[in-house]
Amino acid sequence: MRKPRTAFAFTVLFFVLLYLPVAVVVLFSFNSQKSLTVYEGFSLRWYEAFFADEALIESLGMSLRVSLVAMVGSLVLGVALALGLVRARGKLGLYAGFIMLVPLITPEIVTGVASLLLFKGLGIPLSTMTVMIAEITFSISYVTVILRSRVAALNREVEEAAIDLGATRWQALLLVTLPALLPSILASGVLIFALVFDDFVLAFFTTGVTPQPLSVRIYSAIRFGIQPTINAVGTLMLLGSIALIGLALLIPRFFGRRGGLSILSGE
Amino acid sequence: MRKRVSLWSWLLLPGTVWMSIFFITSLLLVTALSFGTTDDLGTPHFGNSLSNWAEVFAPVYRTVILRSLGYAFITAVLCLLIAYPVAYAIARHGGRWKNALIAAIVVPFFANYLVRMYGWAVVLSDEGPLLGLARKLGAPDDWRILHTGFGVIAGLVYGFVVFMILPLYAAMERMDSAVIEAGRDLYGGPLRTFLFVTVPATRQGALAGLVLVFLPAMGDFVSAQFLGGPDQIMIGNLIQSKFFDGQNWPLGSALTMLLMIVLLIAMAGYLRRARKDEQEAWQ
Repeated sequence: MRKPRTAFAFTVLFFVLLYLPVAVVVLFSFNSQKSLTVYEGFSLRWYEAFFADEALIESLGMSLRVSLVAMVGSLVLGVALALGLVRARGKLGLYAGFIMLVPLITPEIVTGVASLLLFKGLGIPLSTMTVMIAEITFSISYVTVILRSRVAALNREVEEAAIDLGATRWQALLLVTLPALLPSILASGVLIFALVFDDFVLAFFTTGVTPQPLSVRIYSAIRFGIQPTINAVGTLMLLGSIALIGLALLIPRFFGRRGGLSILSGE
Repeated sequence: MRKRVSLWSWLLLPGTVWMSIFFITSLLLVTALSFGTTDDLGTPHFGNSLSNWAEVFAPVYRTVILRSLGYAFITAVLCLLIAYPVAYAIARHGGRWKNALIAAIVVPFFANYLVRMYGWAVVLSDEGPLLGLARKLGAPDDWRILHTGFGVIAGLVYGFVVFMILPLYAAMERMDSAVIEAGRDLYGGPLRTFLFVTVPATRQGALAGLVLVFLPAMGDFVSAQFLGGPDQIMIGNLIQSKFFDGQNWPLGSALTMLLMIVLLIAMAGYLRRARKDEQEAWQ
């Protein structure tokens, strides 16, 4: 097959432009001066500034807590939903299948506005907890979509065998079905953690004043005059995300299965 | 048998209840408040007034809404034009690097969206590398990207192009390479083969990509804020300002509902088209 040179050149240009902004952030996070356009030498001062900034560290802690709770919460609800959607029959299943798909076609800003109105309407003051609730709601659909196809691919005969051997339905579920799903559950959990940690729009609409999630803090910093500390935070977050994706891709291999990108696309 | 059915239905219950309360109810609340009013203190009240909906279509807001539609549409088309050669090069000629290259496209997408947008703003700024290079090549000094419509679109493209590349790449992976060979044999030129064989064969991926890009682009407010100016605000910026700066929640709710309706129409159009394609493919 002949090589399409134009498409190759274009692809190279695409990758350059794709990585240029990220490279700029990483490079200037090590800049010794405050400038964001002229690199004047290596230093770690912006990293030191980040770790010395109590408000930012508090935000980091909040973001970690929110991501962890959202991950666990959406996994518990999402795994149950995925199992039910594949196996339950009846009207409830149809309704559940519908409301699980709506969030996926709803822009985040709409979800954000809606959550804000709901919390105000219920008289719940905005806090870390409201961010957690909103993020769980936002994540359930992802977990369910990723796990639904895995549940459908399970071999029911193994469960039937367990039941024939005297296990109850619940025992079969806990001792046979869930362990078989464990790699996918863990991998989607890691992805949800990364998505929630980086999420800005929902957090912006549902957070209280203090503490604020890290991404909301970054937003304010960029909006009201940039501090180079943001470059350092951005670089650390990028490293964290890469580590998490790597982990999500590797998890199926720990269990002796073929890993790969399919977990990212949910196919 | 009866018992098994009830176990799976029970499993559906917690998630369904959660989503009904925190998602469906909240959307209904937005709908209800879009017919509400504010008192003199700016406190929102429910009501049955149509004034917010009338205001949404007033010239000031209409301009912003049409602009958002235009930006999102141009963004989706640009993403398509960018994604085709990239997905093609990787799917057809990526060899054993295919997965690594696709992963390399996904990784920056997992960097924080705000940080990526801010890095992009630095790259596109007046002192940035792109305009510096353009000036060296003879571009006039007053060329700007930031604070123009092009800047906002560039931001949206950068933010969401990955949503176009992934479905397009998947569609090309599924394609039978013998079809391309046949096209070569019959038509000759690589460009014609691409246009008359590859593009029609990957139409469904392209269609899915257009929707996946249009959806978030239409609701975005960060790109317009970081890369645009006051003349480039989008419907997302309006919504944000009605809830945070302007404190007119009923009007903000009407704008939110309008955004949702526009996207539902786009989605319905896509689903109809996709179903038609599928039926034709079976015939």
